[in-house]
Amino acid sequence: MPNIVEAVPLSWVLILAGGLFCIGLFGALSRRSTIAILLSIELMLNAVNINLIAFWRYLEPQLVAGQIFALFVIVVAAAEAAVGLAMIIAIYRTRQTIVADEVDTLRG
Amino acid sequence: MLELAWLIPIFPLLAFALITLTPVRHNKAASGWLAIGLMTLATLLALGVAAEVAQGILVAENGSRTTRAALSSVPPEDVFSFPVPNIVRTLRWAPVGGMTMSGEQAPFTMGYLIDPMVAAMLVMVTITSTCIHMFSLGYMAHDERQARFFSFMSLFTAAMLTMVMASNLLLFFMAWEIMGLASYLLIGFWYDRNYPDLRQITPRQAAIKAFITTRIGDVLFMVGLAYLWTQAGSLDFGRAPGQIFELGLLQRLAATPTALGMSAATAIALLIFAGTIGKSAQFPLHVWLPDAMEGPTPVSALIHAATMVAAGVFLVARTYPIFEASGALPFVAFIGSLTALGAALIACAQFDIKRILAYSTISQLGFMVAALGIGGWIAALFHLLMHAFFKALLFLGAGSVIHGMEAAVGTDVTTSQDIRNMGDLRRFMPTTYWTYLVGALALAGIPPLAGFWSKDEILADALSNGHIIVWIVLSLASFLTAFYMTRQVRLVFFGQFRGDSPRRDTRPSEPKAVEHAYGTDSVAGAHEHGGHTPHESPWTMTVPLIILAIFAALAGFVNTPFAHGLSNFLEAEAGSFNIIAVLIATLVALAGVGAGWIMYRDSFVTAQDDDPLERLQPAMFGALNRRLGFDELYARTIGVATTVLSIAWTALDLWVIGRIVSGVGSVAAFLGRLNFIVDDTVFNDGADSLADGVEHGGDEVRRIETGRIQDYVGFAFGGVVVLGVVYLYIIQR
Repeated sequence: MPNIVEAVPLSWVLILAGGLFCIGLFGALSRRSTIAILLSIELMLNAVNINLIAFWRYLEPQLVAGQIFALFVIVVAAAEAAVGLAMIIAIYRTRQTIVADEVDTLRG
Repeated sequence: MLELAWLIPIFPLLAFALITLTPVRHNKAASGWLAIGLMTLATLLALGVAAEVAQGILVAENGSRTTRAALSSVPPEDVFSFPVPNIVRTLRWAPVGGMTMSGEQAPFTMGYLIDPMVAAMLVMVTITSTCIHMFSLGYMAHDERQARFFSFMSLFTAAMLTMVMASNLLLFFMAWEIMGLASYLLIGFWYDRNYPDLRQITPRQAAIKAFITTRIGDVLFMVGLAYLWTQAGSLDFGRAPGQIFELGLLQRLAATPTALGMSAATAIALLIFAGTIGKSAQFPLHVWLPDAMEGPTPVSALIHAATMVAAGVFLVARTYPIFEASGALPFVAFIGSLTALGAALIACAQFDIKRILAYSTISQLGFMVAALGIGGWIAALFHLLMHAFFKALLFLGAGSVIHGMEAAVGTDVTTSQDIRNMGDLRRFMPTTYWTYLVGALALAGIPPLAGFWSKDEILADALSNGHIIVWIVLSLASFLTAFYMTRQVRLVFFGQFRGDSPRRDTRPSEPKAVEHAYGTDSVAGAHEHGGHTPHESPWTMTVPLIILAIFAALAGFVNTPFAHGLSNFLEAEAGSFNIIAVLIATLVALAGVGAGWIMYRDSFVTAQDDDPLERLQPAMFGALNRRLGFDELYARTIGVATTVLSIAWTALDLWVIGRIVSGVGSVAAFLGRLNFIVDDTVFNDGADSLADGVEHGGDEVRRIETGRIQDYVGFAFGGVVVLGVVYLYIIQR
């Protein structure tokens, strides 16, 4: 079985991650549903995870920092999803809506 | 007990704070009893301390106790030295930049020091103060401001006790000044009192006079302290290196020449002695003490007879090693003898019962100072202690007499204190009579009362140490003392009562015009004043008299020539017994009493009669009656000089400084006008437009705050992109 590092160049992986990040960003900026925004954010985080793992695997395979960072990001993402969903539920209970445009009490 | 000694001044201080700061001040009786109660505690503590000192207990720095007997060090024989203190506790108070001669840092310290001399003073001060507090309760009963009175008395006592216990001259000086303040406040206690005779000094004038006169001495004293500090680098009492009685230091001071051919030690001693001259009313600063009698009589007894005025003597005794190392002692003896004789002469020609006692106090203080000057350290201290008891007794007795006389002749001060208006008071006031008699005989030096032993010791010291002139002068003063006390007792307590038709020397005497201690008569209501016979004082006044009379009669036995109790207590060498001196002193005192009795036996049938001495020597009597004109002399010289100086200064102020100031003022006004214009046009308008711009900009910027979270994310991402572009294409490039 050929080594993945030899089979796939680093740039391909980075392009994949960048594409994934752009899709996530687009979703986070354009979707009206708050849940969809949350999903998009998860997408962006995972794009970052791919980046981290790729750089580790291709450039510094002898160190574990890349894996650890990816693990951290996953944990933070899980926590963030929990908090975000709880907030969405709270917002829904008070406003009967989860559309981001209609939740604009932050306006200065 | 010795470790608790610091509590002794705390008790009266506590009384002062409580009476001044808490609602106790609204209750006359409560404030008085509070002060008395705390004073009694202080007295008991002082007695306990004295008892331990008498046992010779020494407490070391680490708290371990030894006795004096176990101490093996032998003090140097040829130099005067104090016994080792029983306890010293100090703390670093204020580090100062200076260095001692030996190069160590020398901070000012605070602390207390108990040695036998201090213990004796503590006992004396607390006992007299307690008695006088108690007497005041009766004497001041009708005064509206009784709480104020007790507050000041407590403050004074706290200061006096602090001064006695001070472990260094700095704390000593602080307490000394607080005593001066308390004295000022209490002399002027009846500050709203005015007299119809404008030439008569009022309490507030007397207070200012006392304060300023003693200030002259105090300033010189402080200069002396500063001088001593520059030389010694310390103000702590003690013989150890770095303290002011260190032998090497004293020898160096005596060898250092300064101005006018004096050694540094002499200069320092003279400057310190200036403080004594002021505080102990020695010539030429004696003029304040007779006028200090304008204060309430208990104040005269406590401050101006027993304790504060003796502080000057205590100061010299405390710093005696410096005096001994210096050449100042003959001067001290000279001033003391001169004061003793001069004041005794003036006392013979006074008619005010309190002023006679005041001059007597000055004279006795002269005795003590003279005793210090001839090396009679023990004798001076002994006389100080004894004098405190019998002079406090005499003043309280005088207060009782005045209190009783006011029933007969009204509350006018000049009338009720004039001994020519009294007479035969022993019939009306037996307790006062007997106690007063004890005090007077003690002062006159009749054996075996207290004054005899102490005065005899001074005279014996003078004679046996070869100071013949001092001895003659003091013997003369001693004769006069016996004479004027006999005159006073004779006129006050014997003969016929002359208060029915008193002489009223303050001519337009409106009975109610004079504001008095007892409030207005109608308010008091207890007894109407004027037109009655004199009456005995209440028990709160007579009990202290009796206590003090016991001390005045018996206290002298602590240091008779046969049993040197006090000398042993003070760990000092006792004076030698001189039978000739004793005999002469006794004869002199008896001669004085006899002369006084014979001369005044048939005099003063009515109050309007002339004094027999006045008939004998009118010119001299007149001069003495006018106090030898010292007040007038000072008014003509210092007073006139001050007035001239102030007029000259006014002119200078008006014509020179005033012009300069107004010139500077108009320049400043012009600059101000200029500044206003610049400010108004440039700064105000500029600042206004800046503020407007900020507000407007804020209005614009707040539009991007839509409240939509996706807009914010967009801005954030846009910001990242912009920063990335800047980084990549501008900074990296």
